[in-house]
Amino acid sequence: MKTFLYSLLLAALAVSTNAAEIKLLNVSYDPTRELYADYNAAFAKFWKAKTGDDVNISQSHGGSGKQAQSVINGLEADVVTLALAYDIDAISTQARLLPADWQKRLPNDSTPYTSTIVFLVRKGNPKGIKDWDDVVKKGVSVVVANPKTSGGARWAYLAAYAYALEKNHRDDTAARDFITKLYKNVPVLDSGARGSTVTFAQRQIGDVLLAWENEAHLALKEFGADKYEIVTPSLSILAEPPVAVVDKNAKRHHTTEVAKEYLQYLYSDEGQEIAAKNFYRPRNETVTAKYAANFNQVKLVTIDQEFGGWTKAQQTHFADGGVFDQIYQQ
Amino acid sequence: MKTLKLKQVIIAGVVGSQFGLPVFAADNAATGTNGAASVDIPAFAADGGSPAQEAEIKALKQQVEALVEKVDALEQHTPTAQAATISDLDQQVRILQRQREIDQETATAKAATAPKISLGANGFSFSSADTNFVLQLHAVLQFDSRTFFHDDNAKGVDGFLLRRARPILSGTVARDFEYNFTPDFGGSQVQIFDAYTIYHGAPYFQIEAGKFKPPVGLEALQADVNTSFNERSLATDLVPNRDLGLAFKGDVSGGVASYVVGLFNGASDYNSTVTNSYAQNNKSVDARLFFQPWKNSDVNGLRGFGFGVGGSYENDNPATNVTTSLTPGYTTDGQQKFFTYNKNVYADGVHWRLSPQSYYYYGPFGLLGEYAISDQRVSNDNIGGKKNVDVHNTAWDIAGSWLLTGEDASYNNGVTPRQNFDPRLNHWGAWQVVARYAELNVDNDVFSGYSINHNYSLANPTTSADGAQAWALGLNWYLNKNVRANLSFAHTTFSEAYGGNKYASGSVPAQSENVLFTRIQLAF
Repeated sequence: MKTFLYSLLLAALAVSTNAAEIKLLNVSYDPTRELYADYNAAFAKFWKAKTGDDVNISQSHGGSGKQAQSVINGLEADVVTLALAYDIDAISTQARLLPADWQKRLPNDSTPYTSTIVFLVRKGNPKGIKDWDDVVKKGVSVVVANPKTSGGARWAYLAAYAYALEKNHRDDTAARDFITKLYKNVPVLDSGARGSTVTFAQRQIGDVLLAWENEAHLALKEFGADKYEIVTPSLSILAEPPVAVVDKNAKRHHTTEVAKEYLQYLYSDEGQEIAAKNFYRPRNETVTAKYAANFNQVKLVTIDQEFGGWTKAQQTHFADGGVFDQIYQQ
Repeated sequence: MKTLKLKQVIIAGVVGSQFGLPVFAADNAATGTNGAASVDIPAFAADGGSPAQEAEIKALKQQVEALVEKVDALEQHTPTAQAATISDLDQQVRILQRQREIDQETATAKAATAPKISLGANGFSFSSADTNFVLQLHAVLQFDSRTFFHDDNAKGVDGFLLRRARPILSGTVARDFEYNFTPDFGGSQVQIFDAYTIYHGAPYFQIEAGKFKPPVGLEALQADVNTSFNERSLATDLVPNRDLGLAFKGDVSGGVASYVVGLFNGASDYNSTVTNSYAQNNKSVDARLFFQPWKNSDVNGLRGFGFGVGGSYENDNPATNVTTSLTPGYTTDGQQKFFTYNKNVYADGVHWRLSPQSYYYYGPFGLLGEYAISDQRVSNDNIGGKKNVDVHNTAWDIAGSWLLTGEDASYNNGVTPRQNFDPRLNHWGAWQVVARYAELNVDNDVFSGYSINHNYSLANPTTSADGAQAWALGLNWYLNKNVRANLSFAHTTFSEAYGGNKYASGSVPAQSENVLFTRIQLAF
C-alpha cells in the first residue's frame, strides 16, 4: 500500500512538473518566411535547453503595412518582425499595444539585421540594366510591389528617389520626374514583396525586379542561377527591418519572457549566422566578415539622412494624397 | 533597309509610272513613327497642274498611302517582327492574367474584412466580417380569427385580431454579448415583450439580464411561433409569462443538462410585467433544471426526450403594492376569464410554483406535457373579518402532434417542410395534426365564506369557476419555413359552481366554450 501511494505521489509529481508548451505568434513581413523557419527551429532548441519548455512558434506573413494593420485590428501577435519601423509605430500609436519608445529596447534601434534593395534581372541581362537610370528607360518593364502595402516596396521607392536626388543635385522636381518614369514602367503592383517575386520569376513578367537583397538571392536559389542574375545599383538604401514584443498581447498570453528572449536571441551569434545565411546583412561584425562574399559593396543611404526619418517619409510619400498617389495617377 | 527599298520601289513604280519622278527622291524620306516611309508629292505638281491633274494626283496619293499600309502589314509578317509581336502579346497576356490574380486576391482579402449582409428565411442579418457584431431583423405577424359557438352571443366576441405584430431586433455585440429587443404592436396596447442581453461567457455559464421569460413553464418557454395551437393551455395560466430580472444559465455536456436560476421582480400567474419598473420590494427566485440524457447519443428514438422541473419562490409583502402580484385572471383557450379574485384581495405571503415537465419528439411525432402548481397566500380585508388563505391551484396539460408529411417535429426549431408550397409544382408544404387536453383546478378555499348576502370569500363562485377542462384539435399547414396557417377547435367545460351555487347568467363559466380558431402566421 505504501509503495502504491509512493508511486502515485511520484506520478502526480511527474505530471505536475511536465514541461509546458508555449505558443508564440510572430507576425512578420513577406520575404522572411525562410529566415524565421530556420530561426524558429534554432530558438526552440535554445529555449528547450535553457528552460526545459517547448515553444511552438507560429508565423504570419504578408505585406508589412497590411500585417501591422492586422495586428491593430486584433491579430494577437506576441512579437512583430516587420519591414520598417513606421509599421510598428502604427501599432504603438493606433492600438497602444506597445510603448512609443519600443525601438530603444534592443540594440541597433531594434533592428538585428539589415538589407537593401537590388535588381533581379533575367539571365544575360537582355535589357542591359546596370543602374537606376536603366530602370526608368522607355520599354523596360519593372516589377515591384505597391508601396502603400509593402514595406519592401517602400524601401525600393525610397532607394530610387534617393538616387534621383543625388543625381539631380537634390532637385526634388527632377526626382519626382524620375520616380514618375519608374512607375510608368511598372505594369502590375503586387501587395507584397513575395507577390512581386512570383510575378517576375514565376509568371515571367517584366525585365527587372526591384527586390530585397535577400529575396533576390532566394530567387536565385529557388528558380536557378542559370535563369536570373542580381545587379547591384550604384546607390541603394539601408533597409533596417525592426522587431518588437507586442507587450499587451504577450502579457495576456503570459509569453512576455519568451517573446523578449526570442528577439534578443536574434542578436546572438547563432541568430546572426542564420540571418546571414538567409542573405540578411548581420549586425555582428564577425559574422558580417564571415559572410562578406554574400553581399556586394554598394553605397547605402539611410532614411534618416535622406528623408528625415520614417514618419516624415511616410507622410510625404506614402500617405493618402502623397507623392506616390500623385505620380501613380499620372 | 531591305523593306524600305521595297516601299521605295512600289512608290516609285506607281508615281514614276505616271509622272516619271526620280526614284531616289524617296531616299531621304523621313521615317514615320510607325516605321513606314512617308511620301511627299512634289509641290510643283499640285501648284502648277490643271484641276484634272490635281484630282489625279490626289487619287494617286491615296493609292500610295494604301500601298504603304499594305507594305507595313506585310512587314509585320517577317519572322523577327513576328517574334517581337508575339513576345509583346505574351507579356500583355501575362500582365493581364497576373493583374486578374491580384484583383482576385485583393477582392478575397477585402471580402474577408468587409461587413456581411444576408437575407433569407432567418431574416435580415448584418454583421462585421469577424461576426463579432451582428444585427438581425426578424418579424412575427399573427393574424387570427376566433368564432365562438353556442354562446348565445353572451360571451366571446367573434372576429379578427392581430394577435402578435412584433419586429424583433437581435444579434450580438463584441462577440459575447447577445441582445434582443422585441416590442409588440399586436393586441390592445403597444408594449415591450423582450428586452434583454445575454453574456455568453461559456456554454455552461451565461448571464441574462433584462425582460424575458422566467424559467418555469414548458409551454410558456416555447417560442410563440412554434406552439401547436393559437393559444397556450390552461397549465400556462399558472406560470409567469415575462418578467424583469437577472439570470444565470448554461448547458452542460452539450445540452444534456441545462439550468437557469434567476432573480426576478415576480410576475403573477399568466401575466407579463407590462410596465418596465416595479413597485414592490420583494423578489422572486425562479429556476429550472432540464435534462435531455440522450441528446447527443446514437439512440435516435431517445434523442428527443427531455424532462425537468421549473419553479419559483417569492414572499409578497403586504406593506407594498401587492395587488400586482395577483393574477388578473385565468383564461380559457378563447381568452375569456373564467376565474378572477375579488377586488379587495391581495397577495400576502409566500407564492411558490412548481412545474414538472417533459417532452418527447421523434420524427414527425411530438408529445409535450407539464404539471403546474401555483401556491399563493392571499388575503382580503372584509369588514366581517380578515381572511387569509393559502391558495393551492393546479393545472396540467398534454399535447400531441403528428406531421402527416413526414417532417421532423421539435420543441423549438419549428417545422421545415420537405417541399415548400408551390401548386405549380404540385408541392403542398407540410401538414400537421395536433391535439391537446388540459385542466385547471382552483383551490376551493378561495370560495369559502361566500353567501348571497355576505361575500367574505376571495372569489365569487357564481362568476368564477373552480375548475376548467379543455380539449382541442387542430390542423397546421406549414407553407414554408416562414408562413404557417392554423385551424383548430377548442372545447372548454367548467366544473360545477362551488358550494351548490349556480353560475350567473352571462358569466363565462355559465356555459361551455366552443371556439374555432384560424391563424395566418408569418415569421422570419
